[in-house]
Amino acid sequence: MQIFFQTLVGGLSLGAVYALVAMGFSLVYRTMGLVNFAHGNVVMIGAYVASTFYLTVTLPFIPAMLIALAVTGAIGLVIERVLRPLENKDFTLMLIGTIGFGIVLEALATLIWGATGRAVRNPVQAAPVELLGLRIRTYDLVVLAVAAAATVALVLFLQRTKRGAAMQAVAMNHEAATAVGIHVGRSNAVAFGIGASLAALAGSLAGPLLYVSPTMGGTLGIHGFAAMAIGGFGSIPGAIVGGLSIGVLGSYSAGHFEGYSELVTFLVFTVAIMIRPTGIFGETTVNRA
Amino acid sequence: MGAGEFAVEELSVYYGGVCAVQSVSFTVGAGQSLGVIGTNGAGKSSTLRALMGLVPRRSGTVRFDGKDLTGTKARDMVRHGIGYVPEGRQVFGGLSVEKNLLLGDYARRRNGETRQTLAEVYELFPVLGEMSGRLAGALSGGQQQMLSIGRALMCRPRLLLLDEPSMGLSPRLVDAILTVLLELRRKGLTMLLVEQNAKLTFEATNHCLVMENGAVAMTGAAADLRKDVRVRRVYLGL
Repeated sequence: MQIFFQTLVGGLSLGAVYALVAMGFSLVYRTMGLVNFAHGNVVMIGAYVASTFYLTVTLPFIPAMLIALAVTGAIGLVIERVLRPLENKDFTLMLIGTIGFGIVLEALATLIWGATGRAVRNPVQAAPVELLGLRIRTYDLVVLAVAAAATVALVLFLQRTKRGAAMQAVAMNHEAATAVGIHVGRSNAVAFGIGASLAALAGSLAGPLLYVSPTMGGTLGIHGFAAMAIGGFGSIPGAIVGGLSIGVLGSYSAGHFEGYSELVTFLVFTVAIMIRPTGIFGETTVNRA
Repeated sequence: MGAGEFAVEELSVYYGGVCAVQSVSFTVGAGQSLGVIGTNGAGKSSTLRALMGLVPRRSGTVRFDGKDLTGTKARDMVRHGIGYVPEGRQVFGGLSVEKNLLLGDYARRRNGETRQTLAEVYELFPVLGEMSGRLAGALSGGQQQMLSIGRALMCRPRLLLLDEPSMGLSPRLVDAILTVLLELRRKGLTMLLVEQNAKLTFEATNHCLVMENGAVAMTGAAADLRKDVRVRRVYLGL
């Protein structure tokens, strides 16, 4: 039983990272009906920028993270701006365009930082917390707290601000949103920018948990995508539940199946999606049929 | 051209090679209401969507209140005082009734006037006031139509464009919509009403235009058109 709960706790921090990745996917999806396939690679860029400013420039972790947020936010805006002309012409091309951006970002990272990758030292040196016989790393608690704060901020933004309401309106009905004077392109750009900033948050938090390398984008991207799918495309609560589920699931399968853990995780994911294709909080969002 | 006048000239719309609207021209004087009737596919909605800028125009000019709006983007029409009630209501289903209405005011700066306009809309549609916290998607068809009109009124338009507000509504609800339209007309709002329901249109507007195959087939005072033998047979089923 002790091991059971220890494994559960061990999966939560990576789960929170997946949840952040999934939230970025979801925000863009619910606003535009688009899956941004470059999202995982933006996470990776965020991890590199944060770790560079943290390790090489030796800034404290938080400012390094904020710089990464700003850099990837700008990358998100660039991606949206370049792909915008395609939105009403050929949506499939826009989708492929995001894949292209992903490849470019990965190549850029290899050029700038090399292909080998780097380890990031844990920014929180405090001893693990003992709670009910479980050992919880302090950094895991930090990751959970930051992810929770980001979620609250995003939900408040969507529900309480005029811009947030406009973004939801665009997600629900393009034409009616246009008729009341909302600039759909600008709304999409904000979604992309915030989505990319969430990616950097996920990436910089993942740094000390994983190994930062140009290919980490693929790994985190696919886990985040799975988290969004299982939670329900476009749903913010779904992204959180999905992310934590995938994280905990990964933690259990790593404990029991070691080398085959990814295989087991995604088999369980596949079965779950077959049982409930809309995901846990399947919302109806943009209809691109 | 008079103040507050809405004028459309030589408007043509093509979808691919197919002509949907052919050289349609009309004017709506300030405080007047113009009805556009026609069967399904006659080009009524295309005309309305084209002058809003929601579908591309092949040719034609749009002027309102002395300003040329031909090149104005759809999202900026509201900033020139034009409110649009889209076909099929198109409320923001996942947002509350009140949020839907407040979004109608999106293009204007928030001030005391917003609350006042909101109160006026609730006065016009008491049912929306009772349901202000409900999700718009949970309303009935008639309530959604009222919400759609209410949302368009939130920008305090000087011209209201309505696309088939009676669509899919029971006769009792069509009467309710008519009452609202007459009230708006009494208040002096300039209106352009596109409808398949000729009876509603003749009662709600003072001037009408009949569209057939993308072109204007007949035009005249509502009172005269409703007496026309052919109109009575084709559009009123009498």
